[in-house]
Amino acid sequence: MRHRAALVLAIGAAVTSQAYAQRPSADWGAQAIPAVVTTNVVPGGRTASELRIVQPIAMLHVDAFGGRLRLLATANLEQYTIPNGELAPGNWGESFEDRRHPHTVMHELMLVAGGPALFVAAGKGFVPFGTDDPMSRPAVRFPVNHHLSQILERAMVLAGVRAGPAALEAALFNGDEPVAPGSWPSWDRFGDSWAVRLTLAPLPGLETQASYAFVTSPENQPGAGPDDRKTSAAVRWERDRWYGHFEWARTSAATGAFLFHSMLAEAAVTLHRHRPYVRFERTERPEEERVFGNRFRTRRPLFENSILGITRWTILTAGDAVDLGRGPLRCSPFLEASWIGIARVGAGVFDPAVWYDRGHGVALTVGIRLATGMRVHRMGRYQPEPMADMPSMHVP
Amino acid sequence: MRRYRITELVTLAAALACGEGSGPPAGPAVRIIMSAGDGQFGAPGSPLTVPFAVLAQDQHNDPVESVTVNWDVTGGAGSLSDTVSKTDASGIARTTLTLDSAAGPNSVTATVAGLTGSLTFTAVGAVEPVLVTSLPVTQNYGLHDQFIRDGLAFLSAWNSGVLIYDVGNGIKGGSPGNPVLVDSVTTAGGEAHNAWWFHNPATGEKKYLFIGQEGPGGIGATSSGDIHVVDVSNLNNIQEVAFFHRAGAGTHNFWMDEPNQILYAAYYNGGVVAIDVSGTLSGDISSRLIDTLSFGASNTYTWGLQLYNGSLYAIDMLSGLWQLTTNLGTLGAAGGGNNEAARYSSDLWVANGYAYTGTWDHFQRTGQSGSLLKIWQLNGSAAPVALDSVLLSNVSAVSDVEVSADGKLLMFSAESGPNSGFWFYSLADRAHPTLLGKYLVASGVHTATFATIGGRLYAFGAKNPGGAALIILDVAGLDP
Repeated sequence: MRHRAALVLAIGAAVTSQAYAQRPSADWGAQAIPAVVTTNVVPGGRTASELRIVQPIAMLHVDAFGGRLRLLATANLEQYTIPNGELAPGNWGESFEDRRHPHTVMHELMLVAGGPALFVAAGKGFVPFGTDDPMSRPAVRFPVNHHLSQILERAMVLAGVRAGPAALEAALFNGDEPVAPGSWPSWDRFGDSWAVRLTLAPLPGLETQASYAFVTSPENQPGAGPDDRKTSAAVRWERDRWYGHFEWARTSAATGAFLFHSMLAEAAVTLHRHRPYVRFERTERPEEERVFGNRFRTRRPLFENSILGITRWTILTAGDAVDLGRGPLRCSPFLEASWIGIARVGAGVFDPAVWYDRGHGVALTVGIRLATGMRVHRMGRYQPEPMADMPSMHVP
Repeated sequence: MRRYRITELVTLAAALACGEGSGPPAGPAVRIIMSAGDGQFGAPGSPLTVPFAVLAQDQHNDPVESVTVNWDVTGGAGSLSDTVSKTDASGIARTTLTLDSAAGPNSVTATVAGLTGSLTFTAVGAVEPVLVTSLPVTQNYGLHDQFIRDGLAFLSAWNSGVLIYDVGNGIKGGSPGNPVLVDSVTTAGGEAHNAWWFHNPATGEKKYLFIGQEGPGGIGATSSGDIHVVDVSNLNNIQEVAFFHRAGAGTHNFWMDEPNQILYAAYYNGGVVAIDVSGTLSGDISSRLIDTLSFGASNTYTWGLQLYNGSLYAIDMLSGLWQLTTNLGTLGAAGGGNNEAARYSSDLWVANGYAYTGTWDHFQRTGQSGSLLKIWQLNGSAAPVALDSVLLSNVSAVSDVEVSADGKLLMFSAESGPNSGFWFYSLADRAHPTLLGKYLVASGVHTATFATIGGRLYAFGAKNPGGAALIILDVAGLDP
């Protein structure tokens, strides 16, 4: 209750302090990606293929008071297009394994008040920790480190200050992650977790960040599970035709009982209508016991803190997207291929050679990104004016 | 060209017509195969709902009519609706078994004169355990284990601590049908996994409750969690008084040598420990460690242990069943181990000169499905000898095993899969348990134990989240 009152006061103060009013403006955008994926890294040693519509989202931005009050909303319709997830070797989280879970319908709903120097934000969205959501980056395939490098879909109150090239953000939020696409954060857990992120943008196009988060019982909604302590550092370069990104992340779970590391580097360049890109990732993930009827799902709710082991996923992904549309509907067909290596980290009973009947494999994705309206914004950044002059990725 | 095509079509139509209606009659039956009815459960003395059925086929696998099938009861004392029946136009012959009036396995054999071999159908006359109570437990990781003694149930409910219920003690007027909460205690760190109420025959005290904490662990490699000691001599003022910590390992299941005041604990990657728990326990009792033993070819991950006829039997997830020696807590390896490689081992119970052990796996170790109950003959001071096993399909784990105090009834809990729940076997033949009954629980049963209250036998089980609960079954009808 105390946290909620603070949230209301903060928003109110920021808004009412504006002595002037201007005509509100709005912008919107939408995208969907029909894609076929095939891979031979599948539990049981099979090859699997499927056609899905992934990342169907609709975005709305409303600015008022000359941009000093903004509403950012992103609806994600994966509940309807991939209710059982998307075939994606290595992806994990929210009880899915080797299938990327569908995100919640209300992906972001943030009210942001203030200016470049001082702002507050509240709502449901991305915690100021780590890097941008993979949906707003070049590769269509989600990286394995999604649950190490981002904390999203939480009820949050956020405050940020900026001085010159430095910005500091801090947030309180609920630690529990969504349990289903239709779920909302647990209000009774709001404020049990926190995060802080320092961003430096010393040069145009260059942005660095370091962040830390304490997340209470992310995988057990009632709060009985172990806590996570998460650290992230990243460098991002986006200027003219070029985009580059390097990040490192570490999650210490259960007071250091389990450590998961991630290192990821990716780059893209725009060459006329083509946008080739490449990503290299090396990420560790926990292995949990799969449920009896579905080798892509793990038990929820949890009732033990044990895991079967840790695996390290080394994935090299390369692709090319062609921007075909300049009209209201932008079309960007793409071809993306990944080499995937899986290794055990330390001891434990999980053996990828048994589970997948292989230690490495490949994945191939072909699809078309369809978009209209505004481009996908940088999910995870809410400051009123972008730092480092990089308002959005050059994805259609 | 056109005529040729028409000719072809006519020929094809003629061929199809012949195939449909006027082909050669089926040849003589060369085999019979099971068609329906095998593996049913039913109430003893009642007819099965699905008749046993066989299908007679010729050499082309076509059904054969009018084949005489002979049916014989070869197990149990049931009766058949038909001891001779003929296959119908579909090649099917049927008979209905009325089960033996005594609970247990029944079998019926089908034979056809002139054909070699036979088919044996099985069915089980099962006394369905009676649900007495389903007591909800906080969904805070739910309920992991229950220890029943003197009519008190100690429920290990993770971060909710240990909940103590009167289920027949009388202190609060509780009963199996109406458990009444007496008190609860939350120990340092929570994660209450199991408990043992120590009755000290040397002093007559019933003072200490040992609680196992199951902290985070990487199965097969790492573990954490201490043993917490709680003074329950005054159930209105329960307090944690001592703890035992072992660096680098965490505790799991217990067994006690109460006359000698020694607590034995499985310690996962730490093997087995023996702790002197005599006298007053206070503060850090790590110095009470008598001995510790690790075993296995390369590493150890010990699930549970039991003292029996002077030997300590330990079940190791990785290397199987071991027989250990103990001399007032000084431990040694006698034999066994490296005797289950296809699956990971789980719990054990030792009784009647045999050991009964479980497995868990679900395709993890060597791609095996289902879980096993394994039966071992104890072999003096040498290694236990595997005698038999029961494969339970459609589960991921046989998670807890126990034999009733009279040695006649074996129970195990199963989880993760359609066959999750309680399973009961007769030990009339102790080396070869036979199925008596089951009580399925969709979310699975993590642990189960017997308790006799008011002269009646009950099974207590920990139903997994969601819907975590203590389930109490009246199983008196199952115990011969």
